[in-house]
Amino acid sequence: MEYILSQLMNGLCQGAIYALMAIGYSVIVGVVGMVTFTYGEIMMIGAFGAYYTFLLVGNNLLVMILAAFAASFLIGIVVYKVCYERFFNAPRHISLLCTIGFSILAKNLAQIVFGPDTKPLQGIIDNRIFPINLFGLTLQIKLLQIIIIVLVVVLALALTLFFNRTKWGVMLRAVSQNREASYLVGINVKRVTMMGSCIGCAFGGVAGILLAINYFVVYPTMGAAYSIKAFSSSVLGGLVDLRFSALGGLTIGVIENMGISFSSASFRDIFAFGFLILVLVLRPQGFATKRGSRV
Amino acid sequence: MRGFLLNARAGGRKTARNVGLAALVLLLVLLPRLGIPAVYLRYICTIMMYATLAGSLNIINGYSGQSCLGQAGFFCIGAYTCAVLSTKFGISFWLCLPLGGVLGALVGALVSLPTLRLQGIYLSIVTLGASEIIRIVAQSWTNVTGGAMGIKSIPKPVLFGYKIFRPQDYLYIFLALGVLFLFLSARVLKSRVGRAWMSIREDQVAARSLGVEIKRYKSVNFMYGAFWAGVIGAAYAPFVSFIESSQFTLDTGFDVLAMVVIGGQGTLVGPIVGATIVTVLTESLRFLSYWRYVIYALIIILMMWVRPQGLIGASKSVLAGGQLRRRPDKRAGGARA
Repeated sequence: MEYILSQLMNGLCQGAIYALMAIGYSVIVGVVGMVTFTYGEIMMIGAFGAYYTFLLVGNNLLVMILAAFAASFLIGIVVYKVCYERFFNAPRHISLLCTIGFSILAKNLAQIVFGPDTKPLQGIIDNRIFPINLFGLTLQIKLLQIIIIVLVVVLALALTLFFNRTKWGVMLRAVSQNREASYLVGINVKRVTMMGSCIGCAFGGVAGILLAINYFVVYPTMGAAYSIKAFSSSVLGGLVDLRFSALGGLTIGVIENMGISFSSASFRDIFAFGFLILVLVLRPQGFATKRGSRV
Repeated sequence: MRGFLLNARAGGRKTARNVGLAALVLLLVLLPRLGIPAVYLRYICTIMMYATLAGSLNIINGYSGQSCLGQAGFFCIGAYTCAVLSTKFGISFWLCLPLGGVLGALVGALVSLPTLRLQGIYLSIVTLGASEIIRIVAQSWTNVTGGAMGIKSIPKPVLFGYKIFRPQDYLYIFLALGVLFLFLSARVLKSRVGRAWMSIREDQVAARSLGVEIKRYKSVNFMYGAFWAGVIGAAYAPFVSFIESSQFTLDTGFDVLAMVVIGGQGTLVGPIVGATIVTVLTESLRFLSYWRYVIYALIIILMMWVRPQGLIGASKSVLAGGQLRRRPDKRAGGARA
């Protein structure tokens, strides 16, 4: 029982990271209007940005997260220029293939530039454990898990505030709802779309460094597995709604970890994808109340 | 010769294409007699294998306009079917070929069930997830598939007591499969079924209003594509004689997709051209290690920028945005994912 509780805690922690990934992914899909397969590589670039900051300035979590945010924010511009800008009027598989190409490019350039080996990233957060008594059961929560969950909640709230309270946020929502009408009211749609791509990527970058801290390693091919997870979480939440996407990420994280606690760890992805397919069969719109009209 | 070619051109692109394909087949038949080193013949086998695999994906993506991203999964099913049946039960290769195809088609039907209600990106994610699930099952089901160790020493095919193991013999197997695939597909595409697929691709609502049973034809389309991926998988297993689950990752699926799109979706010749370019590129630049994938990626992006319809595809095709030009109202909406 205690094992299951601790697996639930692991699931919540991993789910929180997935939620962050899914939020970023949904911002991209919502504002840009196209799906992306570069997301895993963007997370990897964010993680590497933070890793080199760690080597440069030492152990400072806040600076590392800012570095991850900045690195992937800038990559967001490149991705927008290469994969989206020319393809708004084209069939969607063209931009999709472009993102696949960009993903291969980034993965292999990273192996050339950063080296293909796995780099350890340890001692960022003290390995402290808080035992909590819960109806006679002891639940052991790691400091790492608390920090990750708190960070994700803070970032999600910050993004919500940004979307609701700032001029840029309003413009982003306007473009996400209707591009043409946004043109008509004088919004610089191209720049706002680029901003959407950047913000989505930046969240992915932060999720990347959180994953790296959680697993203590950074390596150039780390993104591959998580790109699909971000996509799935976002689809589970109905693709464009941020709250439901976060819920989708959390659900997939918990389901995965509960699933592997009853079987073997190699079945992790089977639980994630099996659950996703089941949901799509029963309820194609995911958790969202209505089907995303634009996607 | 020149006059003959001109006549072919006057007779239309189709005749020219058929003459070209016939010449290609003749060249490939004679190839082992030209004294080409075995290692090059092996590359040519690989190209032909990928050409047919890409062709099978093209049936789904190019002709009925679905977006399947998980062709590696069906390929994996075929390969493991052949490997398991021939190593554990000693079943002949020639029986494994259709069995691999049938099993691939059954899984294709299973995958197509949830996708019948879904479109676009939802369909992509289901095929993607299915492909990964198939791979992970192959990786974890140790009793049958050998788990992470894979299956070693898959028996070579035997034809009338003659053991086929040299690349020049495999060349004929892959050539026969490729020609059979092209011939059958060309016939199917001209039939009622093929026209139904294309009508679904062009406009689903219009197709339904004209009495095309969308669900049934989509399902048949998936099964047909998956069948050929399974057959090619079954032929692939003894060709490499060792298979493991890491040969069937999503990246393999993406490679096949890149072949189809670089060559030209919705054309029979496109996947052949695409498979040739991609395989020659990745094999001949092997000495560049990571840089060859950088070049490969740049070519994919460049193709999408310059010629999104593929090298062979027509610029007015729906797949290159032809239909969108006729419908300016959708254009302003901008987003379609």
